[in-house]
Amino acid sequence: MLRFIARRLLISLPVLGLVSLMSFAVIWLVPGDPAAMFLDPGATPQQLAQVRHRLGLDEPFYLQVIAWYERILHGDLGQSILLNRSVTAAIVERLPVTLSLTALALVFATLLGIAAGLLAAMRHRSWADQSTMVLALLGLSVPEFWLGLMLIFGFAVDLRWFPAGGYVPLAESFSGWWHSMAMPAFTLAAVQVGFIARMTRSAMLEVLHQDFIRTADSKGLPWSIVVTRHGLPNALVPILTVLGIVTGSLLGGAVVIEQVFSLPGVGRLVIGAVLSRDFPVIQGTLLFVAAIYLLVNLVVDILYAVADPRVRLE
Amino acid sequence: MVDWTRRGLLTAGTAGLTASLVGLPCAASAQGTPQPKRGGTVTVALTQAPPSLDAQLTSAQVARDINLHMYETLYARDEHAGVVPDLAQGVDISKDGVTYVFALRAGVKFHNGKTMDSGDAVASLERYQKIGLAKVLLSGVDKIEASGPLEVTVRMKKVQSNFLDTLSSPGTPLAIYPAEETRKDPKDFKFIGTGPMKFVEYAPDSHATLERFADYTPNPNYTKRDGFAGRKEMFIERAVFRFMPESGARNAAMQTGEALINETTDGPTAKKLQGDSRFQVLKLLPFAIQIAKFNHAQAPCNDVNFRRAVAACLNMEETLAIAYPDIYKLDGGLLYGYSPYYTKAGTELYNINDPAKAKEWLANSSYKGETLTFITDNTRPDTDTATDIKEQLGQIGIKIDVKVSDWPTVSTLGFTPNGWHFWTHGLGIEPYEGPAKLMSIWSNGISQIKDDPVIDKLYADLLAELDMDKRKAIFAQFQTHMYENAVAVSLGNFGMFQVVSSRIKNFAPYRIPRLWGTWLDT
Amino acid sequence: MSSAVIDPGQNWSNDVARLAGPFVRRLLHNRSFVAGAVLVLFVVLVSVLAPVLAPYDPMRSNFRARMLPPGAEHLFGTDHFGRDLLSRVIYGGRASLQIGFFVVVVTGIAGTMIGALAGYFRRLDNPLMRVMDALMAFPAILLAIVISAVLGASITNVVIALSIATGPHTARIVRGSVLVVREMEYVEAGRALGASDLRLLFGHVLINAMAPLIVRLTYVFAIAILAEAVLSYIGVGPPPPTPTFGNIIAGERDFMETAPWAMIFPGLAIVVSVLGLNLLGDGLRDVLDPRMKL
Repeated sequence: MLRFIARRLLISLPVLGLVSLMSFAVIWLVPGDPAAMFLDPGATPQQLAQVRHRLGLDEPFYLQVIAWYERILHGDLGQSILLNRSVTAAIVERLPVTLSLTALALVFATLLGIAAGLLAAMRHRSWADQSTMVLALLGLSVPEFWLGLMLIFGFAVDLRWFPAGGYVPLAESFSGWWHSMAMPAFTLAAVQVGFIARMTRSAMLEVLHQDFIRTADSKGLPWSIVVTRHGLPNALVPILTVLGIVTGSLLGGAVVIEQVFSLPGVGRLVIGAVLSRDFPVIQGTLLFVAAIYLLVNLVVDILYAVADPRVRLE
Repeated sequence: MVDWTRRGLLTAGTAGLTASLVGLPCAASAQGTPQPKRGGTVTVALTQAPPSLDAQLTSAQVARDINLHMYETLYARDEHAGVVPDLAQGVDISKDGVTYVFALRAGVKFHNGKTMDSGDAVASLERYQKIGLAKVLLSGVDKIEASGPLEVTVRMKKVQSNFLDTLSSPGTPLAIYPAEETRKDPKDFKFIGTGPMKFVEYAPDSHATLERFADYTPNPNYTKRDGFAGRKEMFIERAVFRFMPESGARNAAMQTGEALINETTDGPTAKKLQGDSRFQVLKLLPFAIQIAKFNHAQAPCNDVNFRRAVAACLNMEETLAIAYPDIYKLDGGLLYGYSPYYTKAGTELYNINDPAKAKEWLANSSYKGETLTFITDNTRPDTDTATDIKEQLGQIGIKIDVKVSDWPTVSTLGFTPNGWHFWTHGLGIEPYEGPAKLMSIWSNGISQIKDDPVIDKLYADLLAELDMDKRKAIFAQFQTHMYENAVAVSLGNFGMFQVVSSRIKNFAPYRIPRLWGTWLDT
Repeated sequence: MSSAVIDPGQNWSNDVARLAGPFVRRLLHNRSFVAGAVLVLFVVLVSVLAPVLAPYDPMRSNFRARMLPPGAEHLFGTDHFGRDLLSRVIYGGRASLQIGFFVVVVTGIAGTMIGALAGYFRRLDNPLMRVMDALMAFPAILLAIVISAVLGASITNVVIALSIATGPHTARIVRGSVLVVREMEYVEAGRALGASDLRLLFGHVLINAMAPLIVRLTYVFAIAILAEAVLSYIGVGPPPPTPTFGNIIAGERDFMETAPWAMIFPGLAIVVSVLGLNLLGDGLRDVLDPRMKL
């Protein structure tokens, strides 16, 4: 097992190295200029040059590369050009928003997805199965941001059940947090519900056709007990792997959803940085998000190996 | 000293600023309204987050919305952009027009409790000279010194008729900070000013919170709210400026009462809300002038006949109605109607919408059917303007490719000679600030990428001229030149619909959503 | 991160031609495939016939007929330029499908090349796949947004951005099947008989890796249509006035409350197109590659 983890880590290291290089190289290609964000349309080129100098954007490129590696090896992602704070601080202060959005969406997606998948598997080929699967597929086919805008339109403007945007920290008030997060998390989960439901269904169907289930069934146990006690635990391994992918997709989806619902998360940070050319923030956030993604997958792979020893031999 | 204010005002008047001081009627502050109430929190929905809360370092509109509640300047602008004293009591200008002696108001407190004196003012102006975004504004200054505890003397290198315009500019305000803050690295600057509200909190991408500054003394020289100056009395206790880029979310926030002021909404929504007693729907018009720039460094835009063809072809009403539904005004003036310098000179060439005439010009131009590049930022109105102009010019055979990028890309590209032919955006603060500011962006070929000797000469004349009537004449010549040579196309004025909860009393739309003078009805 | 699970023992496609017949029959019996095919065919036909079907010029604005609700004259209403929305949605489908198609082509070619090289030549495997892993570590949509913003908004750049975002996964799927196939007896036999690597790779190995690739590319098509809309929403998508599903929504969202139809119809058009492609992909997967999970 230790050898497996060690090998897995060894594979991750060069990937991390490539990821950091790619994160930095992004600015090589960038035409725009963050200095312009400080200026009104009428600003003069002299003013632009002045801001560029103050921001250190006129330094030679190779110096900037060296500085980048020097910094990240010390765990420092640099200083934001526009936010008047370090990139690490900017990420850390927005992280709770993104994490709670992603976590709540993951809970929604997992609960709804597994429930729907179970229902479909238990009633295989029934009306319930068909309509659940159509719904799941529909969820996979809707653009998230569009769904979010439609929900704002329906639930915030017309029905006024939920606020249209803004964020209340969990530490401040649970109900406020729930109120501000429920709609974005649901929107974000919608796609993944379909994904998990389909996965659960097929995993369950596979398990339910195996001998030990038939045995349990023939012993006269109620079908619901057979499914939840014997079937589900055995279907969990493939579902678990899917959760790794789902978490990755949710992190990506959060980027857009935070924009729709005005949530001050990491996604809003990076989009804002892209559109305002705040290079250090783009680089730092890309590196950070990718590192998180690698970490999540490392953990999932290890869990998978624990659950299914055959994987280690692969 | 008793005489200061009057002398100051009179001197300023001779410098050509009288019109702004004779008390043009003040918008919307209704007389005989019920007694103001103290307290309450107002949430304002803004479209973006400010790039900086350090007023000297940004000229972004959204930063002004917040910053001008926190900071003040020696001189400021009244309701119609006239130059009036704010932190200064007045100014004494020497006969040769080179030395300015400012008397500061006594007893003005900073948010940190310190009382403002000439040391703070000098240190702030010197900081601006060093790192201020628009430090070129002070390039004509020879020397700044504290000539008394409440007296600042500024010596100019030569006569510069727009010096007080500059000093009072809300564009990149010459905000007065405590001297000790001016010495810090900008990164460590604490947001301390003299304004009626003080800084509480900034949550990135989410909101900025300000609260009433309890020790604020409204300027005793005024009796009422007046532009960025006047009497700034704060009744509201707390303000939260929330950054909500999604227009649907801002509208929804108003509907649910999460926000009490929506900085801007679209025309159709404004119309829908007009009958709703919960809201006041207010028009802020003019807010800016939509212009389409030509890159004179590129063929065929270097050809006056081509530019005239474009200007003659366009139906400005169509473009404005699409980009700014229900909130535009067809007006060819390059300044706002309320400016004393406003003129119709040259505007007989505005919005002629004569495709036949345009085709004639085009036939006489160097245009050979090539595809031209129209750059625009990705905000909807600017993109719409570009798209509609493309369609209209397509009718007379001009082929255009619209290139949309984010603001930093476009605004960098748009000041370089290659890669574009047309560029459109709004000019908001420049027409507001007056002729010198407006002409400055066409001087030295800054905006048209090619020097225009006529403009450069007129601009230099304007700066050297102290007589207002002569200045007006110079500006009229400039505007005529802009039209006759089709230096750029001005499409007209546009504005913003602001939605304000009926619970907020005595609100009047202005260039920023001013909270002073308003109160919350419970 | 789990790749497609391919059972080495499965041996269902030694001879493509012999099996093509049963495939078609099985496809036609697959409800998912048929439903998807009908939807996709409908969307494709409408796009191809756009000049015939669109009642108005999709670019021509009429500022006196702005934001008209759906009615007899304008079935989907008009947008804030006064342009006919039905015509714009029809033409938008054209552009969106074009983007999807080119992403499929670019991703298909690049992904296949990289995947095949990595899977077949052991020495290339590690470096190539580590680069793919690195690209896959960034959320695909974020990667696409950054690249599109960096390159500048245009249809070509959107295609490039989406291809870079979807390519690595495709490469990994191809590599997975190539790894399995190259160890099979008949390939070993071919090698023993002196067939060149390239010939083996293209002649046998790739053909047998086709099934999962086709399924994947169907999904890539769907992803590309969704992603184009997201890029437009963020402001880095294809520029106007050429309509795409995404930039119609993005251009009208300021008027969401007063002219909701201008957002609803293009959104539904995306749902229909993507649903069709997903159904098609599911059907193809069931038939071509029954063991493949999502």
